[in-house]
Amino acid sequence: MYCNQPPKKPGDKKEVLQKITNMARANSLWVTAYGTGCGSIELRPLGTSRFDMERFGIAMRPTPRQADVLIISGYLATKTLKRVIRVYEQIQDPKYIMALGSCTINGGMYFDSYNTLNVLDKYLPVDVYVMGCMPRPEAIIDGFSLLMKKIKEGRAVGWKHYRENLDYYRENQKQIIKNWDLPDYNW
Amino acid sequence: MIDKVKKELEIRFPLLKLVREQHNYLHIKVDKAAAADAVLTAKTSLGFTTLQLISAVDRIENGAFQLTWILENYDEQEILLISAYFPRKNCVVPSLSQIWPAASAFERELFEMFGISFPGNPREGEDFLLEGWKDMPPMRRDFETEEYARRTFGERQPREHTDPRQYIGDVVGEWNTPMGRNREEEK
Ligand code: SF4
Repeated sequence: MYCNQPPKKPGDKKEVLQKITNMARANSLWVTAYGTGCGSIELRPLGTSRFDMERFGIAMRPTPRQADVLIISGYLATKTLKRVIRVYEQIQDPKYIMALGSCTINGGMYFDSYNTLNVLDKYLPVDVYVMGCMPRPEAIIDGFSLLMKKIKEGRAVGWKHYRENLDYYRENQKQIIKNWDLPDYNW
Repeated sequence: MIDKVKKELEIRFPLLKLVREQHNYLHIKVDKAAAADAVLTAKTSLGFTTLQLISAVDRIENGAFQLTWILENYDEQEILLISAYFPRKNCVVPSLSQIWPAASAFERELFEMFGISFPGNPREGEDFLLEGWKDMPPMRRDFETEEYARRTFGERQPREHTDPRQYIGDVVGEWNTPMGRNREEEK
């Protein structure tokens, strides 16, 4: 067997460069070590030797300034949302959000709680949802591989969406955070 | 031993009611005017020096809040619960934050969650868990939690089907498992 197709012409320079950048980004996902709900329990086995996420180039970073993925690991109280927004806005572009558990999708079993929000997508742009209550480490790895795929294809553009629709997100955020005193986002 | 504690308390507070007694556990109920006195007595002369928790229960049918101070005597491994009923309307309870600094946090929490006021607590009214909350305190039983959640966090969309494959397909837009392929091959 041999390939009888004519060799593909490389696209224009910018495109090729973009592809290489995307590949580099996808293979070095650094995660902010910040857990919000029950789901963050599953991140510990993921980081240690049994599931070992560092073989995919995923590492935990202690500060948002060095990270590019924020994992919202479960239900989010409005008090925590305020901190999460702050963390998210401090992460350098490009940045991605991964949301774990049914709580972030539609409220899960805390749908009628007075203090946890139901649909995370209204307040922050989510790139990948991982289902489960709570998702097992395998599921989270699956989520990461989906995220990598999306980044390689250039489809993980939640952060651009957030920038363009900041008014929409701000309005929703202010609706549930009663004592809004965050500084305005400036890039 | 707990018998001695009981006798001692019965001498000082003849109106007390016994709720439950076990070999190292005693739960008593006192009049609301004597509550702070009883807690102080337990601390100063009976050796219950640790305050574990101040809890409140909304007894809406009695029109009262049941406050319970849970004390521990670490040397003897004994637990003493002192309860008292306080009227629900404009509930005012004496503060113990001058005696146990830790009580301050419990009292601030009860102020937010039930609207119970503890005059004498230097940090009363400061934001604790519900930042900027303007509604009725959420742990009161006449607070409509579900209605509030719907009003604040939006309607929850009912699920139309329970097939996870279809659901994932709806959300992710792509779903093919090797399992599905194998099944088709088997046919
Ligand atoms: S989805 Fe389940 S495990 Fe995750 S935060 Fe909600 S209740 Fe906890």
